Amino acid sequence: MDDLESELRVPGEEQVENESSDDDESIIRKRIKKPNLPLAPPIFKETPRETGFHKTTRNCLQHIREVLLHHRWQNAAEYMASYSQTLEDTTANMPQLYAEIIWRIGTEILHHHPDSKLEDYNSFYERVKHSGVKHYLKVCLEHSFHLLVNGQFEDAKRQLSIAESWRYGKQSAGQSQRIKLIQAYSGFLNYFIWCDKKATASSTDEYDAAVNQEMHSYFRQSSVNLKEIMKLPGVWDPFVLSYIDMLEFYNDHEGAVKVLNDYAYDNSFPPNPNAHVYLYQYMKKQNHPLKKLLKVLKILHTLVPSHELMPEYCSLLVQSEKEGDLQKALGVVLDLLDYSSWRSNLDVWNHLMNIIKRLRMKKQWLKIFGEEMGCRKDWWLAIHFSTFQARKDSVENRELLEVKSFVVGAFCPRYTSMYCGVGKEARKRLTSEAQKAKRNPKQLRNIRRLKRESGQKSQD
Amino acid sequence: MDEEQTGGYSDICGQCGEVDWGVSDEGRFYCRSCHNVIERTKEVVDTNTFMIGTSRVSSISKGTRRKKLEQGREWMVCEGFQFILKHQAEALLAMGVCPQFKDDVLCQFWRMYLQKSQQAYTKNPVHDGKFRLRSQGSGESDSAPESSVMSDSMMSASETDGDGDLASGGGSVSGHTSDGVSSVCSGSIDAVSYLTPRQRRNQGLMSMPKTLALCHLALMWAREAITLADLLRFVNEGHIPYVNAYEDFPEEMKVYGRDALIFRVESIPSYRHLHKEAQTLAVFLELPLFPSITLDCLLHPSLLTLRYLTEANLPDELHDWVCRIMEKAGMEESVTFEPMRSRSPLPHYDVQAAALIIIAMKLLFKLDDHTEWDLSNDASDKNKENPDGNSFNLRRWYRTMQTALTAAARRQQDNIARKLWKAQKPLYTSKKDKPVVLKRRRMAEQLQLSFQKLSGSPLAPPSSPPSSFCFRWGEGEDVRDGPSLHHQTLDSSVRQRGASLQPSNPEYWHPALRACKPRFCKSHYAEVEVTLPRMYVWLLDLFSFLLGVKPGCVYEEVLKVERRFLRSSKSQPRARATPRKTQPKKLPKCKQTRKTCSR
Repeated sequence: MDDLESELRVPGEEQVENESSDDDESIIRKRIKKPNLPLAPPIFKETPRETGFHKTTRNCLQHIREVLLHHRWQNAAEYMASYSQTLEDTTANMPQLYAEIIWRIGTEILHHHPDSKLEDYNSFYERVKHSGVKHYLKVCLEHSFHLLVNGQFEDAKRQLSIAESWRYGKQSAGQSQRIKLIQAYSGFLNYFIWCDKKATASSTDEYDAAVNQEMHSYFRQSSVNLKEIMKLPGVWDPFVLSYIDMLEFYNDHEGAVKVLNDYAYDNSFPPNPNAHVYLYQYMKKQNHPLKKLLKVLKILHTLVPSHELMPEYCSLLVQSEKEGDLQKALGVVLDLLDYSSWRSNLDVWNHLMNIIKRLRMKKQWLKIFGEEMGCRKDWWLAIHFSTFQARKDSVENRELLEVKSFVVGAFCPRYTSMYCGVGKEARKRLTSEAQKAKRNPKQLRNIRRLKRESGQKSQD
Repeated sequence: MDEEQTGGYSDICGQCGEVDWGVSDEGRFYCRSCHNVIERTKEVVDTNTFMIGTSRVSSISKGTRRKKLEQGREWMVCEGFQFILKHQAEALLAMGVCPQFKDDVLCQFWRMYLQKSQQAYTKNPVHDGKFRLRSQGSGESDSAPESSVMSDSMMSASETDGDGDLASGGGSVSGHTSDGVSSVCSGSIDAVSYLTPRQRRNQGLMSMPKTLALCHLALMWAREAITLADLLRFVNEGHIPYVNAYEDFPEEMKVYGRDALIFRVESIPSYRHLHKEAQTLAVFLELPLFPSITLDCLLHPSLLTLRYLTEANLPDELHDWVCRIMEKAGMEESVTFEPMRSRSPLPHYDVQAAALIIIAMKLLFKLDDHTEWDLSNDASDKNKENPDGNSFNLRRWYRTMQTALTAAARRQQDNIARKLWKAQKPLYTSKKDKPVVLKRRRMAEQLQLSFQKLSGSPLAPPSSPPSSFCFRWGEGEDVRDGPSLHHQTLDSSVRQRGASLQPSNPEYWHPALRACKPRFCKSHYAEVEVTLPRMYVWLLDLFSFLLGVKPGCVYEEVLKVERRFLRSSKSQPRARATPRKTQPKKLPKCKQTRKTCSR
């Protein structure tokens, strides 16, 4: 009741505030009274002493947002033309914000407008770059990305080198980081050129000293930049891959492993499963001993238990002769099966079956089983061996049904009948129906005829 | 930078896109970054073209003129306002205001203003010590013929020689020269003194809103048909120069620095603000009784209501009722304005006319969310029975009007969102800001161009020729708002009783006509809005949209007219104070007037 009353009172009171409000307090009060929706606070609010100019820009931004939501790009461009006057706001306390808004919305419109051409992008980016110093590097980077997407490799490279040589005032922390990023990307592009050269060199088959020299110089330029960025904490997957590729080409395997190790094991970096994947793949390629491979995969398992390399990890563990590895393998497989994407994967169930077969021969079987299944015992059977699951498996994958029947037999014989029974029943029904139909084609024909006749009758 | 030489020429170089001009020895412009020489040479503008008065000052030697042009000539803030007023007056003349308006009314008002604010026509001008006018014979300015003094005083600044022998001019001349320290922060001579706190408190000084207030007073004096709402609408639509009006100054009047604070416009004043401004200005000027508004003048409520009836697409027959109400309320005889009488507020004829129409609607249709719809049903029945019948159906009118109103409001929103405020020649408050401001201007322009190219449509919304009407009703190609209902009759809502017509709705309601303390009370509209019938509120909103005022303003005016109307008809039957159960009971001072009316 109270709520209703307060809601009814709102419109009148708001207007009172509109009339008399000169202090900010009333505006705050008004805002509090609004329904508590999880909306971002508006950047530009209507204030009692708003000038006409600010009203125009506020309304214009609102209109732009609306037409963007409705995908009316043509109108958005129209409004955008008049919105650019905000740059000239003399009372602006945040001119950078205006520049950024124009940059972001402008690119959005250009991306979607049917008539936008690459020249429009180029001129727009050029203008936005100079509208605010703070965004210069970011805009440069975005510009070169856009050029790359459109296949303008040379132009993209030129943009990056312009950005590299740009200096303005005192370097802030963010600025120097961005410069590093830009250098890394220019190194990355150098890697592409290197790849091109490699391809041409290998296609001609002749050893050309000049080409080789050129390639090497690109390698050096690129590696300087790439090494630099890899010192900073971050996720640098493409950079790492390209650098490793080059090192591998020049047979610097130790260097490559060192780079990968640093990338994977540096604690200041954000946890990145890919780093371990790359390390594992490289080591595998270079035929590193099993023990080392297992070590890498173990970390990957703790990071991503459902990783696609886990079946491989499992088979490696089964291969290893070490005591206790089999139990580890069991743990890995069970972890995998906890994820829905692996739940009906025949390979994983096969792994599980093999592990059980081998474990059952050991004395500690029950103890191991108890350790691994301890936390799962409440729900594991129910989730994998329900009647619904059985029916589904029998329809989709008969082999899986059999493997699973074996597993459930090993884990919990009580459950077997339930799961297998349903499975068999379903199978039986299917086969019997098929056989019936096969056996008695006459019946089918009769049914069809009956149907036809009834159809005719209803038409008459 | 030799800005003085290039005269602030700030176009972009065609070759390299920079703005960095120099002037060569031959006086030609060249770009200093790519050495591209352009056609432009240093301009020599005839100094005499910007005068309002007729007398010319022709004794400017060539040499001095050149130097003055480089730095811009000396000018005063009131001179700038004079230019703006001149352009505004010219725009009004182009709209068809009578030709005497400019010279005989506005110019006189302006002179009175200059005298009252002691800026001219006085022995001791306000800026004494810093600046004194050089009159032809020292101290004779008051007796000199007005026109020559006027132009003289305006021109005196340019008349002073810039070549050093300031003292040889005889009388006292401006203490400030344009190459002095003060010129760094403003283009005009006295902008600094204009902005001192004392002067601002004084409120006698000119400001941009005051130019419009002065125009409004002059229009009222001349009894022109442009109301304050119209004036504001024309300003909004850009038919009367106001935003960036300083751009039309002659080239050698440089506007920068402190001038920016005086001449920069970032909003258009509201109706209420301008009304107040006009009232204070009229008192300041000690204007005598205004010419009375007689029946032949378009500002007279009788003609103004007719205009608004047309605008709102209401039947012409309603005008008879409006006139009857006007008679009863005693508003027929001329309402005029006498600034020096304290109890005579500046009338707003437009809102008053709207109030009269609303009262007429209430009288005929009651507008209590029931009666008007019952009457509409009657009218539609009548129209069905009699196919030739042409009864006014309020429901139909409401639907037509509502669609048109929504469309117009959307148009208005769109125009607001796309209005361009910034000038081609941007203002900067200090020399330090100049490159930043110019760069921003250039950026904005280029972005505008590129998006314009992308959208393929012009930047500003298409401006329509100035018109007194927002809506266009009728049949034909030019119509966008719907069919015209002007010819319809009110026969379903009035009936013949005895010799005269009576409304078939027998009752009239009004909100409590409580006595307000004008000083302490603000608008009560916000409190009572929820208790009012929706149709009535809608009607208030409609007229507030048409006039560009707040709904509360129309509401107050309706109450004011209702008070007069009901006071004059005390002996009449069946007027009810409170129409509905929803009428708030908490209003303490509400006088429950159950008066009887005889219509």
